[in-house]
Amino acid sequence: MELAEAKEKIVDALTKKAKTKSKFYFNDLSEILELKPRDAKKLVNKLVEDEVLEYWSSGSTTMYGLKGAGKQAAAEHED
Amino acid sequence: MAFISSGYNPDKPMENRITDIGPRHFEEFYPEVIKKNKGKWLYHEILKPGVLVHVAESGDEVYTVRCGGARLMSVTHIREICEIADKHCDGHLRFTTRNNIEFMVDNKAKIDPLIKDLESRKFDGGSFKFPVGGTGAGITNIVHTQGWVHCHTPATDASGTVKATLDELFTDFQTMRMPAHLRISMACCLNMCGAVHCSDIAILGFHRKPPMVDHAYLDKMCEVPLAIAACPTAALKPKKIDLDGGTVNSIEVNKNRCMFCGNCYTMCPSLPLADKEGDGIVLMVGGKVSNRISAPKFSKVVVAYIPNETPRWPTMTAQIRNIVEAYAKDARKYERLGEWAERIGWERFFGKTGLEFTHHLIDDFRDPAYYTWRQTTNFKF
Amino acid sequence: MAKHETPLLDQLESGPWPSFVSDLKQEAAARAKNEKKVEYQIPQDVVEDLLGVLELSYKDGTTHWKHGGIVGVFGYGGGVIGRYCDQPTMFPGVAHFHTIRVAQPSGKFYTTEYLRQLCDLWELRGSGLTNMHGATGDIILLGTTTPQIEEFFYELTHNMNQDLGGSGSNLRTPADCIGQARCEFACYDTQDLCHTLTNEYQDELHRPAFPYKFKFKFDGCPNCCVASIARSDMSFIGTWKDDIRIDQDAVQGYVKGEFKPNAGAHAGRDWGPFDIQKEVIGLCPTECMKYENGKLTIDNRECTRCMHCIKVMPRALKPGKEKGLSILVGAKAPILDGAQMGSLLVPFVKVDKENGYAEIKEVIEAIWDWWMEEGKNRERLGELIKRQGFQKLLEATNITPVPQHVQEPRTNPYIFWKEEEVEGGWERDVNEFRKHHLR
Repeated sequence: MELAEAKEKIVDALTKKAKTKSKFYFNDLSEILELKPRDAKKLVNKLVEDEVLEYWSSGSTTMYGLKGAGKQAAAEHED
Repeated sequence: MAFISSGYNPDKPMENRITDIGPRHFEEFYPEVIKKNKGKWLYHEILKPGVLVHVAESGDEVYTVRCGGARLMSVTHIREICEIADKHCDGHLRFTTRNNIEFMVDNKAKIDPLIKDLESRKFDGGSFKFPVGGTGAGITNIVHTQGWVHCHTPATDASGTVKATLDELFTDFQTMRMPAHLRISMACCLNMCGAVHCSDIAILGFHRKPPMVDHAYLDKMCEVPLAIAACPTAALKPKKIDLDGGTVNSIEVNKNRCMFCGNCYTMCPSLPLADKEGDGIVLMVGGKVSNRISAPKFSKVVVAYIPNETPRWPTMTAQIRNIVEAYAKDARKYERLGEWAERIGWERFFGKTGLEFTHHLIDDFRDPAYYTWRQTTNFKF
Repeated sequence: MAKHETPLLDQLESGPWPSFVSDLKQEAAARAKNEKKVEYQIPQDVVEDLLGVLELSYKDGTTHWKHGGIVGVFGYGGGVIGRYCDQPTMFPGVAHFHTIRVAQPSGKFYTTEYLRQLCDLWELRGSGLTNMHGATGDIILLGTTTPQIEEFFYELTHNMNQDLGGSGSNLRTPADCIGQARCEFACYDTQDLCHTLTNEYQDELHRPAFPYKFKFKFDGCPNCCVASIARSDMSFIGTWKDDIRIDQDAVQGYVKGEFKPNAGAHAGRDWGPFDIQKEVIGLCPTECMKYENGKLTIDNRECTRCMHCIKVMPRALKPGKEKGLSILVGAKAPILDGAQMGSLLVPFVKVDKENGYAEIKEVIEAIWDWWMEEGKNRERLGELIKRQGFQKLLEATNITPVPQHVQEPRTNPYIFWKEEEVEGGWERDVNEFRKHHLR
């Protein structure tokens, strides 16, 4: 899969769900991309580097979201 | 204070970026005698509490002086450690898995000046900076978690409970009178980021009240689906709440399903659960990780709740002392605490320690519970 | 004069054990004095405020920290844990107080030069407070503000040639025991394997794509000094296959009381004279040892390598020469379905540095492929093995079942036979059946 296609799929899917939640597990992303985890990871890494996606971590678990999306950034006064 | 740039350019984060280099190579840090004799050690001996000698095939010897340390450590303190290592150990040292500091010298004559130096150093408050000990059949340093110093879900403090316990057991850090070594570990909530579940004695912080729900702010600060998904027992569900004439999206807690883990609070600060009366200490005993004689074992809960008596947790330290003394008195040489309890039977363990057995100590959590009940007529009155 | 009164914490300054309160106060005073004229990049009174907020916790019995989602430096999904104080007005110095994990060198040996460099950097850009070390093994640096994270990382990598550790759903910083560096029991070079795999799997360590955390730990022998068997998803424990080496003269040394049993570990009490029958032969769990006519013999085929005899008589007994390691998988702390100890997967594999540990990596990568595809969100490897069965793990890793894999065979006969295992398969003709069995 090309990066552009991956970006479109991810942005579309995550935007659709933006009203209810902004953070997703890695598995959700590989399902959206319909790829095996290892192949999905290469594209997801690139989307992080391109500042489309960003990480969120509970310390023990990591999640992904569209950059800047969600409520907590505002709550932490980090934006 | 003026901002000092490291050279990092926030507009171009990838510019000159160095990543994925990992830790430094361990060989850079080996003392000379270690580098030379690695893989060729013949045997070791504990010369006295806290002092080890390892003898190599080459005839070389390395003497190690082990000292306790609080794992919470300032740069001032680390620099003092460096000063000692420069003075006595050619600028080398190491830390152990259990937060001890090890100073190594290659000559017997260097031991006494080193120990003298270490023992002479005290904090202004009077405690030792570098107590020598922690070897053999004694009680070594307590590994622990962050507690109130730095964590968002602790049910107690870690550094304080550990300090209080090690003050109580200090002579056993510096002597070796136990039947076998006795490992104590501390984790400040049931999530056990400190993995204390296989310790001879585990000190565990525990909440006993489900989270409160801050309805007015929850929807502003948190995402409801994330908080709900964080609950391991499915005790949370979304709920619309009438508040000040309007309706807000919020969460309902099924309080009887709550296991007090605080995972929801991690995802959502509007679900705080800490509470002065609710929170306290659980004691677990009888775990081990070594495969020596018997297989590794999990620790078992023997005290269901002790309140947080700051700043020194006297009830907790008294209970620990009590368990340690019962074990020291009754166990056979080489027998770990859990092996002793199994040999005499847990009914005798409660008899000999005087600890009260309550219904809280009988497992009722999911599948493994059944295997802990007694399925035999063999028991002691 | 201290910024906050700390009457409760002050009571933790007495007593012999090193007082973290005294150390915090010493650091607070050093920052206030600032003899070296450091241009502190976070509040100078950060340690004072930490003492203040901790005193408040001692008073009201609750924590005052909130978790934050900040995860690290650009492009990394771990290594930094966001932390905020819930009383920022009272304690502005620790309002933002994030943790940084720095990957520790294998074996935790240091030079003072390295530690001083790290201290200088952390004093400038953080609180000057650390944990040496965290439970997983990292060097933990406690407390800095968001703008300092990238600056710190830039200096750490550029000036110290040193990287961050792991957090979140990724490979956590691997940790090892002291191993062959200074231990005669170690059956392989834990430091080299730990360091090699840490570097091999940097992408897995920094860019989380696992269902949950994943830990490697390396123990040189079955004594398990880093507790790998209890707390790592993959535990690498040194072992050997051939005979325990016996030095009969040294055995006599122990029998005659010339050498201290158990390397002197029991010297603090009078346990009476050393009794080889009672203390070694009698405690051997497999009863595979004999001491007759002044000679020690071991039926090595029956030995399970618990190492009790070797630990009691380290001068006389040594592990065999054919050394390697066992791999156990799936250990974890109790959350959620109860604690799990590591289960034996690979009884023995040679630790071959020459071929880059190829056999070991093969097992690791097969497990990751399986877990990444089949693991549910926040499901540890041990839980997946329980949910899908040990057989699935064997299939995924292409390992042949052997009796060593179990403590005992199953006690129920509910075997999920596969169609291809049953003669003639599962498709049958019911009409043919009815010719011999009336409706």
